[in-house]
Amino acid sequence: MFKKQYESHESVSIIFEGKRLNVEKGLTVAAALLVSGNTVFRASVVSGEPRAPYCMMGVCFECLIEIDGIPNQRACMAPVREAMKIKRQIKP
Amino acid sequence: MIKENAEVVVIGGGVIGVSLAYGMVKKGAKVILIDKVDNRLTASRGNFGLVWVQGKGKGMPRYVEWCIEATEKWPEFAENLETETGFDLNYEKTGGLEICLGEEEYQERINFIEGMSQSSKSGRYDCEMISRKELQSMLPKIKLGKEVSGASFCYHDGCVNPLNLLKAMNSSFQQKGGIYRPEQTVENIECSSNEFKIETGTHSFNAEKLVIAGGLMTTKLAKMVGMEVPVIPERGQILVTERTSRVFNYPTGEIRQNFDGSFMLGSSHEAVDYDTETSYEVLQKIAKRAIRILPNLKNLQLIRSWAALRVLTPDQKPVYLESDQCPGAYAITSHSGVSLASIHSSVLVEWIIEKKIPRGFTDFHPERFNVQEAI
Amino acid sequence: MAAAITARAHGLSVLVLDEQPSAGGQIFRNIETLEATRNSEFIKLGKEYEFGSSLVRRFKKSGADYFSDRSVWQIDNNLQIHHVSASSSKNNSVVSHCQAKRLLIAVGAMERPMPLPGWTIPGVMPCTAADVLYKSSGFIPDGKVVLAGSGPLLLLIGCRLLDVGVHVSAFLDTSMNGALLKALPLLPNALRSHKYLTRGLSLLWKIRKAGIPFYSGIQNIEALGSSKLEKVRIRKSGKSFDVKADLLLLHNGVVPNVQITRNLGCEHRWYDVQRYWEPIVDNWGNTSVDDVSIAGDCGRVAGAAISEASGHLAALETVYQLGIISQTERDKLSRTHRIELARHQHVRPFLDKLFQPSKKWLIPEDDKTLACRCEEVNVSEIRETVRMGIKDPDRLKSMTRCGMGYCQARMCGLTVSEIIAEENKVSPEEIGYFRVRSPIRPVTLGQVAEID
Repeated sequence: MFKKQYESHESVSIIFEGKRLNVEKGLTVAAALLVSGNTVFRASVVSGEPRAPYCMMGVCFECLIEIDGIPNQRACMAPVREAMKIKRQIKP
Repeated sequence: MIKENAEVVVIGGGVIGVSLAYGMVKKGAKVILIDKVDNRLTASRGNFGLVWVQGKGKGMPRYVEWCIEATEKWPEFAENLETETGFDLNYEKTGGLEICLGEEEYQERINFIEGMSQSSKSGRYDCEMISRKELQSMLPKIKLGKEVSGASFCYHDGCVNPLNLLKAMNSSFQQKGGIYRPEQTVENIECSSNEFKIETGTHSFNAEKLVIAGGLMTTKLAKMVGMEVPVIPERGQILVTERTSRVFNYPTGEIRQNFDGSFMLGSSHEAVDYDTETSYEVLQKIAKRAIRILPNLKNLQLIRSWAALRVLTPDQKPVYLESDQCPGAYAITSHSGVSLASIHSSVLVEWIIEKKIPRGFTDFHPERFNVQEAI
Repeated sequence: MAAAITARAHGLSVLVLDEQPSAGGQIFRNIETLEATRNSEFIKLGKEYEFGSSLVRRFKKSGADYFSDRSVWQIDNNLQIHHVSASSSKNNSVVSHCQAKRLLIAVGAMERPMPLPGWTIPGVMPCTAADVLYKSSGFIPDGKVVLAGSGPLLLLIGCRLLDVGVHVSAFLDTSMNGALLKALPLLPNALRSHKYLTRGLSLLWKIRKAGIPFYSGIQNIEALGSSKLEKVRIRKSGKSFDVKADLLLLHNGVVPNVQITRNLGCEHRWYDVQRYWEPIVDNWGNTSVDDVSIAGDCGRVAGAAISEASGHLAALETVYQLGIISQTERDKLSRTHRIELARHQHVRPFLDKLFQPSKKWLIPEDDKTLACRCEEVNVSEIRETVRMGIKDPDRLKSMTRCGMGYCQARMCGLTVSEIIAEENKVSPEEIGYFRVRSPIRPVTLGQVAEID
């Protein structure tokens, strides 16, 4: 969906769905996940349909994701941090 | 002026008015339900959805029995509505708790429940105190706060989705031929020997019977047909959180977890006239107490809050009154419109339509307020 | 920023609470970092950005306290403000309070929601989302992009995407037929600010010159895909055809963000030309609530230059209201800003009329389309409920759950007012809007209780 224009120098290592992922420092969680090719962030609590970031500016609350064990965090507002644990909210 | 006729005109589209109107069309009556314009003062959209007996009616035995009878009618009442409309009421009769923090609250609760039991002359009132240990075993999925000392548990209690209840009754009422006239402001009521003429800004309604269930407007409307029904507003504020997995399976008077997983938190009792604003102090007070009871709540996000005005009579118990001056006009008010919806739509309707006066009904007459004052 | 600069110049103590991680708002998002580390792109963004950069510098030097990453969740009647971190809702993140003498709301605008079938599929976004990703992270869309909607912002962002080599597979123009003709009566006035006009026209020309399939007179747009966007189905002249797409960028205009002004109880009116609510203000930005004023696009959407001038004016008013300057001084100091306002305001009626949102894109024709994304309430359910005799948005909310979700009706509020209005055959002005209660943003119960 989105790609980088150029390579960055600084990166951080986050843990996404249990796997280590190197992402550019300074990105929001939403940006980092989108550019890594992840297009589904959660399943809607009402119908289970797949949802992903929409407005990218903190208004719509679509990009909710679990960060460090706390659910329903806005991924587009949270900057990535070293060893941050991120899990999608998809019910089994 | 649009002229419309009916057997019964009900003024008030809140839980009480709609439950009466609904019950009446089910009996085959031709009913017009008039609803007001100002939607900010409606208790029917701002309540906790409890179908409750536990704390109701202390000192008025007739009312205690009335509440118990209502909860016994509720399961069938809910099932009928769901079948008629296809809407889920999420009604559950699990029994209800009132959780105590500290020894003093626990002791106070013991005394209160004793008083309630004494008020239940039939002895049917079924409520007991449970220890902290028992309470925790009833709630295995969530940790109780350190200060929780125990609770009272009442077997009659349950809860419902009050918004869906209102919607379902209104929908079924209209489906069964009831006429719903919203956005009305009642300006004048005339009563003659065999009919009532109700004038709003746009309509003139004629009816053989008139039922006033106007919430906080009841006093003013009832006066127009010779009845004195004092009601005052009392504000309550409520917090609603995001959804989470269901861990709290009993309703209480201040915390309940809705069917969809969101938590609703209350309660407050404020005499602030007609002010429906929320306040930082009260929201914080409610949040603090809820966290003392269930510490894990602190991580849940608060999404919504609201404030609504309870409709209270001087002793907080119902008034069911037929006008002496204008027979055929009735005033109905109660702050338990949800809990009593089952009995309002049946027994009260029989009183209004078929003149079947329930036993001990005079206890609900507002002259009791004058008696209390005289004393 | 402008308001802070002017307020500080007169010695007021100023606190700016910003939800975003750095100064600049939406137009100048991430501008400091852009200038410092991505200078070639910064230069390409044009002269406006140079100006924005200097504004940020002046703001940072003004002596105003600037707290970024703060979300205001509650404002008391006495203007005590309660705020928390915007980026993290860990309940131990600090809760802060601030007592204001006067409040200036400058929260800007947001995209008007453009509900259409499939708009919740991953890969459908408002066009400003691409703008945010570009400015904040340097990302550009990958794969095939379809642009749909109307309005100068869509044209601007479309051109930027073309400039960086993005593959735009189609441009779907939803502006109203004959819009240009309707707006022509306003043209003489507009020509005084011809810079906007010529820029807009040149953007349109650029897109067409790039040979991108350009469709107008569109009857329906539908996004399709199982777990992400795969194609966009377009219906035009009674015929349907599909365009493959990885990203669908929507735009149906920009509307004031009235969440806070509504929460404070400010009076609003309906601006029918652009179909949105705006707070009622005098020409100093004062709202109907004492000591609360607004500046910028959260009032009437009018762009950066007007926003900045209105910020200066609102600050001068505040300085006067707090007794620091006289009315005469205030009026004197305001003259340059009023001239600036007038300079840019001439084209606004023309632009507002030219880019009027059409009814079709305000309420989707396919009534299975979701109006409320959070609670998944579709247009059909809303209509059925209104037909039970409902005119009040809060009443509708209680019966459908529309507006009860996390976004607190930001994404569905306008749509709901439009649908209720249409069903009742009245203007949305008569219908009103949801009541906006606290919390202004979701906060944890722990933050409300202020415990660790």
